[in-house]
Amino acid sequence: MMRSNDIKREAGFVFAHRQFKLTLLVVFLLSTVALWSGHAEMKAQQATIERLLEKDTVEREAVLSHQNSYGMVAYYAFHLTYAPPSPLAFAVVGERDVFPWKHRIRMLALEGQIYESDTDNPELAFLGRFDFAFVVSVLLPLFIILLLYDLKAKEREARRFDLLNVTARNSHAVWTSRTLVTLVPLALVTLIPFIAFAIVNGASLRSILLACVIVLGTISVWSAIVLAIGAAQRFAKYSATHLASLMLGVWLITTVIVPVTGHTVINAVVDTPEGGDIVLTQREAVNGAWDKPVEATWEKFIETHPQWANYTAYDPERDGSFNWKWYYAFQQVGDERASELSNAYQQATLRKNQLAGYVSLLSPSLLTQRLLSNTANTNVQSMIDYENKVRAFHASLREFYYQQLFAAPEFTEASLKQLPQFTTTSQVTTTKNEHTGKHQ
Amino acid sequence: MNMNNTIKTICAEQWRYWLRTKVATTVLILGSILTLAALVVNGFHIEEAAHAREHLQHEAEERFLSQPDKHPHRMVHYGHYVFRTPTPLSVIEPGVDTYTGNAIFLEGHRQNSAMFAEQRQSAGLNRFSSLTPSFLALVLAPLFIILIGYGSVSREREAGTLTLLLTQGASRWQLVLGKLVALMLASGVFLLPLLLACVYVAFSNESALVVTLFCLGYMLYFMLWAVVVTACSTLFEKSSASFTVLIVIWMSACILLPRMGSSVATSIEPSIGKLEADFKVEEKLRSLGDGHDVNDPAFVKLKQDLLEKYNVDSVDDLPVNFRGIVAQYSEQRQAVVINEFAESRMQEELAQARIARQFGWLSPTVALRSFSTLLAGTSIETHHRFLREAEMLRMQFVQGLNKVHVEKLDYKLDMNRNASEEAADKAVVEASNWAVLSEFSFQPEAPMARLSSAAMYCLQLLLWVGVAVLLLNLAVRRLNP
Repeated sequence: MMRSNDIKREAGFVFAHRQFKLTLLVVFLLSTVALWSGHAEMKAQQATIERLLEKDTVEREAVLSHQNSYGMVAYYAFHLTYAPPSPLAFAVVGERDVFPWKHRIRMLALEGQIYESDTDNPELAFLGRFDFAFVVSVLLPLFIILLLYDLKAKEREARRFDLLNVTARNSHAVWTSRTLVTLVPLALVTLIPFIAFAIVNGASLRSILLACVIVLGTISVWSAIVLAIGAAQRFAKYSATHLASLMLGVWLITTVIVPVTGHTVINAVVDTPEGGDIVLTQREAVNGAWDKPVEATWEKFIETHPQWANYTAYDPERDGSFNWKWYYAFQQVGDERASELSNAYQQATLRKNQLAGYVSLLSPSLLTQRLLSNTANTNVQSMIDYENKVRAFHASLREFYYQQLFAAPEFTEASLKQLPQFTTTSQVTTTKNEHTGKHQ
Repeated sequence: MNMNNTIKTICAEQWRYWLRTKVATTVLILGSILTLAALVVNGFHIEEAAHAREHLQHEAEERFLSQPDKHPHRMVHYGHYVFRTPTPLSVIEPGVDTYTGNAIFLEGHRQNSAMFAEQRQSAGLNRFSSLTPSFLALVLAPLFIILIGYGSVSREREAGTLTLLLTQGASRWQLVLGKLVALMLASGVFLLPLLLACVYVAFSNESALVVTLFCLGYMLYFMLWAVVVTACSTLFEKSSASFTVLIVIWMSACILLPRMGSSVATSIEPSIGKLEADFKVEEKLRSLGDGHDVNDPAFVKLKQDLLEKYNVDSVDDLPVNFRGIVAQYSEQRQAVVINEFAESRMQEELAQARIARQFGWLSPTVALRSFSTLLAGTSIETHHRFLREAEMLRMQFVQGLNKVHVEKLDYKLDMNRNASEEAADKAVVEASNWAVLSEFSFQPEAPMARLSSAAMYCLQLLLWVGVAVLLLNLAVRRLNP
């Protein structure tokens, strides 16, 4: 049994070490700085989205007021789409710095637009982000090793080990309470700043609790690893620093070697189409259409849009001086030509992500990182979901304009009020012609 | 005893000890296997990427040239692709290569961004670590050097053999130097494969001076760590203290500060994204007129001037194609605006990178990172160079096509092109005109340019060597058995 007396005595003992107090202070500062920088960045992203939304409206209105046909409107009007940071994104920047979270798209072939990326400074992304998830998944284990590696060995080296075991009422309780008085303050200095920032950012209670559980889980796993190595009979003769080297070895293998090996193997196993091929295919299809008979485009287009089969005839009187509906039809056909490749590309990204999930079971650090970014919706899946929302939105634009171009009602500015609007809450709906079967 | 012999004996003794203990041998073996694996994997990867991109580049050029007769403005929209081939030293330092897209679609009226950053395909697996030789050398090798050497002197003190060694006639410097040489040799195990790879690169097509300095940078870095580790081991009485301090130094220098630099740079120098810049471009462009529409009021003056110049009354009588003139004129004006914003965006990114690099005064790892990416041509500067060259090529072929439009396409046929399919078939120029496109083959900056931009970071590195030597000097002077 652990008694409160034991805990008090051990706490007094542990806190008497300057090194321990210093470590706590450093962890507290690191956690706060990481959280603050993530917080500042997400605020900046939100501000960017707000500015963009404002400009988007102004810009589109300026375009709409200049045009007098649906074909021209569709050509010139861009629409802003974006994935706002979730309330917890400040703690885990995750994939937000390599995947785009904002796009402007228009009615032209989507495959030529969706791979555009407006991501952050690549050199900074390459140096890495200093976010809370990084502190927890990479640094915290190192601090745990530094704090616990000489828990017993220090006493052994100081020849107090046997004495302690004998004098304590329960020798087991001594070590348990000493471990606890070391780890609980460590968990507190890590989590208290996090909880404060999470409340400021309006994160839900559930997500905060989940993140806390993940952090506590990380601390427990690493403590267990460290204590197990320290207590193993095999290593009983090792010096404290020898043991620490072993613990660092475990950190190195799980945090560095498992992920990079996993990455290399996954890249070799999963077949990914060259990105360049997608856009080249799409471009050839779109531009080739100009040189082909108009019927060739219509034939392909009608296969997927039978409802417009009787509306393909071009009448300059009604349709204007340029055959816009044919123009947009071959844009659609161009997308369809590339859709197999583009589908495969997205599938490969998801497949790699799925395999990475299995790899992370061998690496506590990776697992922590992934779980945290799942909680904060900054994982690969969230970014792909955003891409699919953009696809779905583009599909709804097409639906709107096809109605205008084919049914050819009189052009009125008022009808443009019906233009689909991108909303972040809209469900990812995949229409028959767009990417299907994306979610397994 | 001869001075050199004493050092040699101590060094040999240290090696005998390492080979006896499991930790040191394990680290040595693990470290060299990792370095080799990284070199092989990354080498193949870069080689493959280089081939794939060269192939795609070639294919894009062929496709452009093999387009049939058509309206020149359609070729402006058909556009062209350029691919950035990796530089020779990316085999060791891939730098930003996987974080930037490496393909750009070039077309009229628009400046597109680079597409397909490989990093998106990695599912976060190599966000902290990557199997690249530079990551191993910069981040892991120092840890290995620490694990091997943290106790080299303090162990002797703890075992009581230090007094013995010193009373037997070895001077304090000889003792410490012996340990240092031993540790440097051990770190050489990780360094050697890297140097061999550099020699291989030097024989391909990289400037020998750049490769030599690149190697020297890494050698200095390894020596620096060996000196710091030996100094700490000498300075602290207990191995455990030396160990803890060294691990803390490693954590801050190799892991923490580089990322701190990146985060600080983002907050000090926020950069507006491309989308936001696009809006500003459009706002400015709206006043310049739509190059597709010859009746846009913005072109009235252009028309007046042209009519006066050729002394005719209507655009129909002009000896040149007025639509082409408008396209040429508005493309030029638009490019000026676009590039003004693109340039300021690149300057912002560069300013951010430079702030992050200032952390080299706080961490030798950051210093070597900047030094090696700049020399290897895998820094943000080289990517910007790629963007600028792509833009030059874009303007060159788009304006080339517009010139063809002005000179080789009859204005009346051109204006009539939407009337019927036959009319459209007449408003074309010959495919031989597509030869306005020139070949694109991306090269990093000239060696001297790279050397001069890397000079400051070399200075940072030298400063660190100086600090380490002072530390060692202090440690030796305070060495007491």
